[in-house]
Amino acid sequence: MVGWFVTLLGLFVILSSTMIKGGAAHRLPPQTFPMVVGFLLLICGIGLTFKAWRLRGEDLALNWPDRQGFWTIVVSLVSLGCYIALMDALGLPLASFLYVAFSTWYLKRSKWLTAIIIGLITGLASYYLFIRLLALSFPEGALFGG
Amino acid sequence: MDFSWAYLFQGFATALTVQNLLWALVGCLVGTLVGVLPGIGPVSGIAILLPLTTVLPPTSAIIMMAAIYYGAMYGGSTTAIVVNIPGEASSVCTAMDGYEMAKQGKAGPALAISAISSFVAGTIGVIALTLFAPMLANFAVAFGPPEYFALMFMGLSLVISLSGRALLKGVISMAIGLGAALIGQDPLTGSARLTFGFPKLLGGVDFISVIVGLFAISEVMINVEQRIHVISEVEIGKLMPSRADLRKCLGTMARCTGVGFLLGLLPGCAPSVTTFVAYDLEKRVSKNPEEFGKGAIQGVAAAEGANNATSQAGFVPLFSFGLPTAPSMAVLLGGLMMYGLQPGPMLFKTNPDFVWAVIASMYIGNMMLLILNLPLVGMWAKIVKIPFYILGPLIIFCSVVGTYSIRFQAYDVWVMLIFGAVGYFMRKMGFPVAPMVLASVLAQMLETAMGQSLLISQGSPLIFFTRPISAVFMGLAIASIGWGIWVQVRSKALMAAAEDDEY
Repeated sequence: MVGWFVTLLGLFVILSSTMIKGGAAHRLPPQTFPMVVGFLLLICGIGLTFKAWRLRGEDLALNWPDRQGFWTIVVSLVSLGCYIALMDALGLPLASFLYVAFSTWYLKRSKWLTAIIIGLITGLASYYLFIRLLALSFPEGALFGG
Repeated sequence: MDFSWAYLFQGFATALTVQNLLWALVGCLVGTLVGVLPGIGPVSGIAILLPLTTVLPPTSAIIMMAAIYYGAMYGGSTTAIVVNIPGEASSVCTAMDGYEMAKQGKAGPALAISAISSFVAGTIGVIALTLFAPMLANFAVAFGPPEYFALMFMGLSLVISLSGRALLKGVISMAIGLGAALIGQDPLTGSARLTFGFPKLLGGVDFISVIVGLFAISEVMINVEQRIHVISEVEIGKLMPSRADLRKCLGTMARCTGVGFLLGLLPGCAPSVTTFVAYDLEKRVSKNPEEFGKGAIQGVAAAEGANNATSQAGFVPLFSFGLPTAPSMAVLLGGLMMYGLQPGPMLFKTNPDFVWAVIASMYIGNMMLLILNLPLVGMWAKIVKIPFYILGPLIIFCSVVGTYSIRFQAYDVWVMLIFGAVGYFMRKMGFPVAPMVLASVLAQMLETAMGQSLLISQGSPLIFFTRPISAVFMGLAIASIGWGIWVQVRSKALMAAAEDDEY
């Protein structure tokens, strides 16, 4: 399965490399390195597929998560995605508060008050440390007048 | 340039300014914290903080980054000893005997000997760095683009062949790292490469997003999945080891420093590899090998000494050749380039103030770490008790802040998220991560060196084999690839296909 995926990725990279324009006059045209990467992926993908075929039937002990672990990862990734998507709109402090409070609560449901406190500390620290003290260009959001 | 006391003293004068001392202390504290906390290592720690240090002058920033790195090497032992969770892969050996000692009520002596051995090995390592790095830099002055290309090629080959028996996975990992670094505009011609029609991708993929995703995000995902709750009931008790214990460890410290430092000069020999070699050596020379794994204090001293000696040794090829030997060194290389400093032989000539200040700061940093780790060991052990439901979201928050501050665009954070998922699957399927990190940092330099070499040779790739130094490196690279293939073909065991060693 992984071997097939890598093989297809290699083919895709090779195909994309052929579409790179310009640089024909150069000693090392811009297509060369991407093409090498594509061929490496293609060859290794075929190698992995062959190896998997040779070892077929033997059970590779990959340690995948159980059902609960799987959903915890999905929720964690989706909440991180929401955090990134909302950061520009809500600003770093508010988005950080929401993300940290939610994630802490989600990982330990009984500790909702701790979650709110940790979220608040993170949100305020992000504002005072990164935006005010270090004057970095993070989005402030409407809450802090940004 | 040869070693000169004048330069070293000048370095001390710079390193001992209040500002640089402060940043070295901050680096040592953050590094120890990074090492203590499971789920965040020196690679992600440095990568997260790197963009935030742009407010500092380059010397202070790199002093702090280097302190974070060797601080993390000290700190990694605390979790290993107190709760049997190695903060870093390099602390696995420490956990074997350290945790057994803790269970016997000897957590204090285990932590103390780990700090002392780290200090001894770290200091000897810095002395060797002081003497070796300028010497090698002199040799590297003769390097042209073909030699650099061959050296980087050899470095990548060694990392792949040493990254476990899963050679194919190592090459795939390297190819993905190279591919990620090639996304965007070609630096020479300006042509769009691998952007698939998305204008956002023209800006390229920053290596920090890749590294933070691969290390920090994927590590948190793994811990989240396992529902880790760190609870420690171990008491530290009496701190100092007995005189007999110290006597037993003196030879151990000397041997493991030698092993750790010499192996650490080679690309691919990360601390996680050298600690095992040193531990094994110590077991072989011990009069009581049966005690190893059951709470032998020499086991802790060997692992921690080798760990720190290797960390210091990594700076030799980094400063002399501009060659990173491990992922954390690759991040530091990226940091140096961010500040417009090109590591390599010319660094000693063009920026002696900088390079000697960083080296001098390492002597001071080692002393600071000993002071931090001996009396404050109880405090660090308490930090281990922070439950993961608090720690995990905070690590993600730090990762997001660090990655966003690269260019102040959410795009870089999305890239981090994608590589977090990639890193998670790579770890699950036994793909080594180190070749990917090194390739993503070295890609541009490799391509530039190759382009310049082909320009010199008017397009003939034989240039890499006709110049003596590059021919030696290419020969070693081909030999290491051949060795990797031989191991791969010989190893018919299923384990070889699923082997996981991410160092």
